Amino acid sequence: MDLAEGFRNHREKIVNKWVEYTLSTYLSSGFFLKENDKFANPVGGNIREALGRLFLLLVKGADPKEFIPPLEQIISIRAVQEFAPSQAVSPLNAVKHITREVFAADKERSQLVNELYDFEFAVDLAVLAAFDMYMQCRERLYQVRINEIRTGNHILAGSRCPSQMLSAEK
Amino acid sequence: MAVPKLQQLAKSVVQGPSLATGAIPTRDWMDIPVVFKSGNYAYPAKKEKVEYLNSQSGLHFPNAREWSPEDDDWKLPEDWKEIILKGLKERLDKFRSLKIFMDCCVRCGACADKCHFFLGTGDPKNMPVLRAELLRSVYRNDFTLAGKILGKMAGAREMTVGVLKEWFMYSYQCTECRRCSVFCPYGIDTAEITMMLRELLHLVGVGINWILEPASNSNRTGNHMGLQPHTFKDNVEFLLDDVENLTGIRPNISFNRKGAEVLFITPSADVFAEPGLYTAMGYMLLFEAIGLDYTWSTYASEGGNFGLFTNNETMKKLNAKMYAEAKRLGVKYILGGECGHMWRVLHQYMDTMNGPADFLEKPVSPITGTVFENAASTKMVHISEFTADLIKHGKLKFDKSRNSHVKATFHDSCNTSRAMGLLDEPRYILDHVVDWVEMPENTIREQTFCCGSGTGLNTDEIMELRMRSGLPRANAVKYVHEKHGVNMLACVCAIDRATLTSLMNYWNPGVSVCGLTELVANALVVEGETRGELEEGLRTML
Repeated sequence: MDLAEGFRNHREKIVNKWVEYTLSTYLSSGFFLKENDKFANPVGGNIREALGRLFLLLVKGADPKEFIPPLEQIISIRAVQEFAPSQAVSPLNAVKHITREVFAADKERSQLVNELYDFEFAVDLAVLAAFDMYMQCRERLYQVRINEIRTGNHILAGSRCPSQMLSAEK
Repeated sequence: MAVPKLQQLAKSVVQGPSLATGAIPTRDWMDIPVVFKSGNYAYPAKKEKVEYLNSQSGLHFPNAREWSPEDDDWKLPEDWKEIILKGLKERLDKFRSLKIFMDCCVRCGACADKCHFFLGTGDPKNMPVLRAELLRSVYRNDFTLAGKILGKMAGAREMTVGVLKEWFMYSYQCTECRRCSVFCPYGIDTAEITMMLRELLHLVGVGINWILEPASNSNRTGNHMGLQPHTFKDNVEFLLDDVENLTGIRPNISFNRKGAEVLFITPSADVFAEPGLYTAMGYMLLFEAIGLDYTWSTYASEGGNFGLFTNNETMKKLNAKMYAEAKRLGVKYILGGECGHMWRVLHQYMDTMNGPADFLEKPVSPITGTVFENAASTKMVHISEFTADLIKHGKLKFDKSRNSHVKATFHDSCNTSRAMGLLDEPRYILDHVVDWVEMPENTIREQTFCCGSGTGLNTDEIMELRMRSGLPRANAVKYVHEKHGVNMLACVCAIDRATLTSLMNYWNPGVSVCGLTELVANALVVEGETRGELEEGLRTML
């Protein structure tokens, strides 16, 4: 029984637990877990889809660049929700613990736990990339704010008209 | 071994009273207080704006003062509780709908997961049922027998400062988009509950600046930005220069012209801010192409009605201004541009507030002869109805290839789709002018998702909140962007044009936002034009 086969056999279980763990960070985790339509449940749907994709990449030891699209799918959401940066990225780490737990519980495969070094290293790289992604999202958000002010959309409401500003200067 | 580690991981990160810390609530929702901190509330209204509004005839905005939601003391009037309860009683007597909405909810939960604020935040108090329960619990306590006797067991609770703060938090995390009401088997309109919450809060001087300043500007100069007549006129004329440079045609326009057949009113944002500017250029080119006898007004220079987000008196007054101007100019009827809440107010409330507008005529298209029976009482026609009718009668000539740089999708604005049923006209127009695709079925038409920043929430201090609440809409756009290469999100609302731009810049860079009439004018073939190759239509920089 090799590691690849272990991952194949337990993929669904590990990903499900990972999704469950990640969604448990929300107050309404029940709904986020239950609803399968991605458009009716954008948080749950995107996290489920992205973690599934990310897991396959981690298992095969893909180039960390490939982690970016699924990471963006998750982190762009968590970067604008009420999480501290550590909270936003920490669920990614959980897959290490979950995988160990799942393998350890399987008597035939419990020895695979000792072979997880590469997988866990890939997770570490993904977590680091997630921090970069988090910052990129925050910076994009600040840029959005600046653009809004620059294009004059902020003037849609809440501003003074130019003639009033002139009279204020006098 | 592994399980404790995993639990530790969750605990090792920052803990705190956040809405999304992963802590499983151990207390009843009534016992969880709201916490205001920078970024989760919109700034309170400036004292002078509230004072000004309160000084205006027919308007009531008391308790002007400097205050902050982050302070414990909100400087409420001493008898704030009596004011709120008396205000609630008055409204229960005045609005039968409110009384019914308070009584008939069976908490079936059909609305719970339909709110974009809930979907983006996961905060249970953003479930429409619970948002309504914030008011309903007080209603039960003071206005129902069961509540008076059984108290908390009957879901009742006393009105306290904590409850008032909760009202402020959650009535400003609702854009009154009415998606939830589509799914309610009783037709409870949670938007109207939010409206009541906001009205009650204004009675004790609790309101936000992003709403009250535009409302006061509108009352003063006729538009949100406080543009005075000459500035408004200058802005429109600048756009005229742009149209001429791009197409070789200088549309003939007029301001405040008595005896014009039609008064045209659009959101002032269309003549001031991108990307609405291109839509305004589109209106002028379209009207020139058909030779419409119309006038702009520098007084009714705003379609939007921020009164809708404050109280019914302000809404009525701002709506009445458009009709007063139509009467003064002696036009036959009003043609309205691409706006959201202008149409909501018009379609749902105008007739009982200020109508019927008997001094105007039943709208008839001067080009096709079509009688707009749907506007027989309000005497106001939507630009998309008007344009679709022109196309149907073959009065417009298009070269669709002029929009070949665009692959569009259409965002149904909450107000026009759910509040006036404008669903097919924009689609009919799109079919004729551009290559476009629909977003997934449960995100369009009556089920459309809000831009996330309507009802005066499009202010930058709550940008994260806006991105969260706009996630369901952005998520659907992302799908068509990736699957079909959509690069343009078309809509018929000025707030949308502003807020969706920011939403796309965060979630889907590469997707721009435009008004429908911009696409119409891009494709429109006008007699006498000397239009070169405009790679980006009316947006082309020369």
